[in-house]
Amino acid sequence: MRALGVLLRKELLATFGSPIGYTVAAVFLLVLGYTFSLTLFATKVANLVYIFHQMYVLTILLVPALTMRAFAEERRNDTLELLLTAPVGEVWIVLAKFLAVFALVLGMYLGAFAYALVLDAHGAPDWGPIASGYLAIICHAALIVSIGLLMSSLTENQVVAAALTLGAALMLWFADSVSYLLPPPFDVLAINLSLIGHFRPMVTGSVFVSEAHTDKGQAERRYELCFRQLLQLRQFA
Amino acid sequence: MSKRYGSTVALASLDLEINRGEVFGLLGPNGSGKTTFIRLLAGYLLPTSGRLEICGCDAVEQSLQARRMIGYVPEAAPVYGYMRVREFLAFMARLRGMTGRAVADAVDRVIAALALQAVADRPTGTLSRGFRQRTAIAQALVHDPEFLILDEPANGLDPRQIIEVRDLIRGLAGRHTVLMSSHVLGEVAKTADRVGVLLDGQLRGVRAMADTPDLEAWFLSLA
Repeated sequence: MRALGVLLRKELLATFGSPIGYTVAAVFLLVLGYTFSLTLFATKVANLVYIFHQMYVLTILLVPALTMRAFAEERRNDTLELLLTAPVGEVWIVLAKFLAVFALVLGMYLGAFAYALVLDAHGAPDWGPIASGYLAIICHAALIVSIGLLMSSLTENQVVAAALTLGAALMLWFADSVSYLLPPPFDVLAINLSLIGHFRPMVTGSVFVSEAHTDKGQAERRYELCFRQLLQLRQFA
Repeated sequence: MSKRYGSTVALASLDLEINRGEVFGLLGPNGSGKTTFIRLLAGYLLPTSGRLEICGCDAVEQSLQARRMIGYVPEAAPVYGYMRVREFLAFMARLRGMTGRAVADAVDRVIAALALQAVADRPTGTLSRGFRQRTAIAQALVHDPEFLILDEPANGLDPRQIIEVRDLIRGLAGRHTVLMSSHVLGEVAKTADRVGVLLDGQLRGVRAMADTPDLEAWFLSLA
């Protein structure tokens, strides 16, 4: 655990010391603010469903820019050699990188909480769907960050890592559209892989334990794959 | 031990023992397998077959324990460019398990040993090649390891710095075991107690420098 603290401090220094993080956060909040104002003036309804959908899309588009450097940059600068030859477990290296990027994304989401407070100040929003919406978007972010770390561990080119993450996230977004072409049980698998299929009910206030479990399970799987990729580096680098 | 990449043999049945406290020079042309061998010792790669032991620890089965005893300077002398020299050295010390006042003391010790005082508070990304190489050596020494592994330590250094690094390595002999790789015969001749020649992934010979008055002739006879 002490190694995690040392690595996390280094990762936070890299994440919050880089202009990429601030640029991504600024773009995220700017676009979200614009959408929030437009939606509020157009519908005059005190809910954040549209905002959560916007956050869902922006997370898919922007998080790859945050995760792309995680391992790709370490490989390109040969600093991964320093980490992997230090007496720390690979699991802490991956976990520190995950937590640093996840912390930044959570910070962005915290900034977006201002919109809920604005609704509360000028209307009477239903806090249930807002809470479940935040739960959904946080699970979604954990998954996209995990995919991003996995892709970053596969290449030393940051642009390739970002493109692979974006591609994988978009494929998962639309995974259920191919279900009618597939025979059982693959059709059910495709439906269950769909990100939007799990996200949509949650942002409207319908929380099923199975939905949260699927998102958590997918994130854990990506995290595990990333960890295994690091182990394989030792064999094939 | 051996190391293969698919059908390519990088190291073939290498059998070598490095004595405690000696400076061992690994000599060979580019592509001969020196860096692969060094990465295997450092724990960055795993052998395809065979056994690696570092100070009594199996480098594969007891990997973390073995890595605690190693100080490693990769060929590219990597550093985190956004960290200051002092910060970087403290990070590497903590990563190797040091805590509290011992970290600051160790950082001060290696800054003095490698003459890094003038750049101690500068970001490592702004350092010249020579200072960067010295910072990379400093991070390998910060936890006072039993076994120091240096991959081409004289790379990018000017003649004065080469002499300083050579003196530093010689000064480590006895207290530390040192393995250094080089493709420069003169460097190995002036620094090592024993030398091994690696060609095409095979260890062609090992000799004490005291028994090798003409290293160049011996090297050419093996090649």
